[in-house]
Amino acid sequence: MSDQRLTPFILDTSVLTAIARGDPDIIALIQGYDSRNQPIVIPALAIAGACLDARGEEAGDLVAGLELLDNVMVAPLNGSDQATWLAEVVARTGLDPWDAHAAAIADVAICPILTLNAAKWREHAADLDEPLHIVEIADPGD
Amino acid sequence: MSDRKTRLTITVDRYLSAYAEQLVDAGQAASVSAVFNEAMAEKAYRDRRRRSLWKAKSDAADRQRVERMMAHIDQQLA
Repeated sequence: MSDQRLTPFILDTSVLTAIARGDPDIIALIQGYDSRNQPIVIPALAIAGACLDARGEEAGDLVAGLELLDNVMVAPLNGSDQATWLAEVVARTGLDPWDAHAAAIADVAICPILTLNAAKWREHAADLDEPLHIVEIADPGD
Repeated sequence: MSDRKTRLTITVDRYLSAYAEQLVDAGQAASVSAVFNEAMAEKAYRDRRRRSLWKAKSDAADRQRVERMMAHIDQQLA
């Protein structure tokens, strides 16, 4: 069976911040999905948001290390149409631009958003024309 | 580093080409090829360091917790 049909995940700022802070379990989780050939999208603005939260050389190396995984792709903010749509998403949801970029990509590409903060996303999941699909990273054993 | 070189034709941004030539003119590099060779060597080093960092962090993970979290994600996607 081809792995090409797997729907990509989009990582939000909370996940990227955990990676930037060197959370071993989140890093291993992302590596685990990469080894399953799961496509993973990281919005460029979500990277910026994470780097504001966790600064320093190691944080930068950990975030940049994501790009070295085989199935990770950075989604840039490209051109005026995407910038205009981002502004619309910010206005409709009240999300900061970092996570609004994740929402804007999820809305267009119809992909789930992986997050450590599902409560925040649930507030905004219905703010766009189509509901966002939010997937929470949590340990049911906690 | 190997002294054996491979001939390569590349296309680069104009401003980067201009900077490489500027380094050569200033005597800070032997040739434009040397500039790009050094840049690639630095990138290779940086990428190795980042992979090693990811491996070190991943090796420190609680594998059982990671498996539980992945199962929880898979359930939400099913």
